[in-house]
Amino acid sequence: MTENRISDPETWVDQFGDYLYNYALSRIQNPSTAEDMVQETFLAALRDRGNFKGLSTERTWLTSILKHKIIDHFRKMSREHPVDDLDSATDFSEDLFDKKGSWNLKPSNWNVNPEKLVDRKEFWEILNHCLSDLSKRLALAFRLREIDGMNCDEICNVLKITPSNCWVMLYRARMSIRRCLEIKWFDGKAGEGS
Amino acid sequence: MNHWMFNCKEVTYLVSESLDRRLPFFKRIGIRMHLLMCKFCSRFRRQLLLLAKVSQFHDTHLAQFEPSFKLSPEARSRIKQALRQQ
Repeated sequence: MTENRISDPETWVDQFGDYLYNYALSRIQNPSTAEDMVQETFLAALRDRGNFKGLSTERTWLTSILKHKIIDHFRKMSREHPVDDLDSATDFSEDLFDKKGSWNLKPSNWNVNPEKLVDRKEFWEILNHCLSDLSKRLALAFRLREIDGMNCDEICNVLKITPSNCWVMLYRARMSIRRCLEIKWFDGKAGEGS
Repeated sequence: MNHWMFNCKEVTYLVSESLDRRLPFFKRIGIRMHLLMCKFCSRFRRQLLLLAKVSQFHDTHLAQFEPSFKLSPEARSRIKQALRQQ
């Protein structure tokens, strides 16, 4: 460790490259864009390293730079590509509800301990799989809201959508992910841990 | 059906929306009335809360495990090259 507690930028790539790459890939599914984001992050960090105070770890510092770059990327994308009206529909491809709006495919009893769940690598693989079944915009809205913890005002600002559009997109994303997790994860494991 | 009561489909939407903003009073009451009587919508609500809770651990999990994907050797050397040129 040097005096300002920052390591040689040349070693960043080996120390943090894979982590940042995976972080970027979990938001941006395009590998070459994700690589570019990682490279831009390191370059920005190099220019800005005088501001690294050692209050957080280097990885946390680099991740926050990357996070901003990714959000800027989505902001730019949303400016260039107009909103898809399909995102506003609340109809489902399968018959979750009957004509009166009562449950057709009733939610099952998940019976799960959240602390144990988050330690299961397979669970995250399934969740990512469920996210990949969504349209890119719905998956993005869900990630910004639930993984990055942004509120709808912030999401509207990034995606250039209205609040009601945001609520509907999140609804559709949650409905789809919930059902997907139920089928792919929970239903095979009913009663486990009980 | 009573006009002031929501059906299950409507309640699922309102439960989801309630995670993103504070709903007007009559909607909150409507949801609560429905949830008291409907086991499946109550389950649904707990599942959405669980989904929100576990999603917060996404990045923690990413940091704990061996990365699933690796930067290619080409990308690695390209990035190092770019860093050297700064």
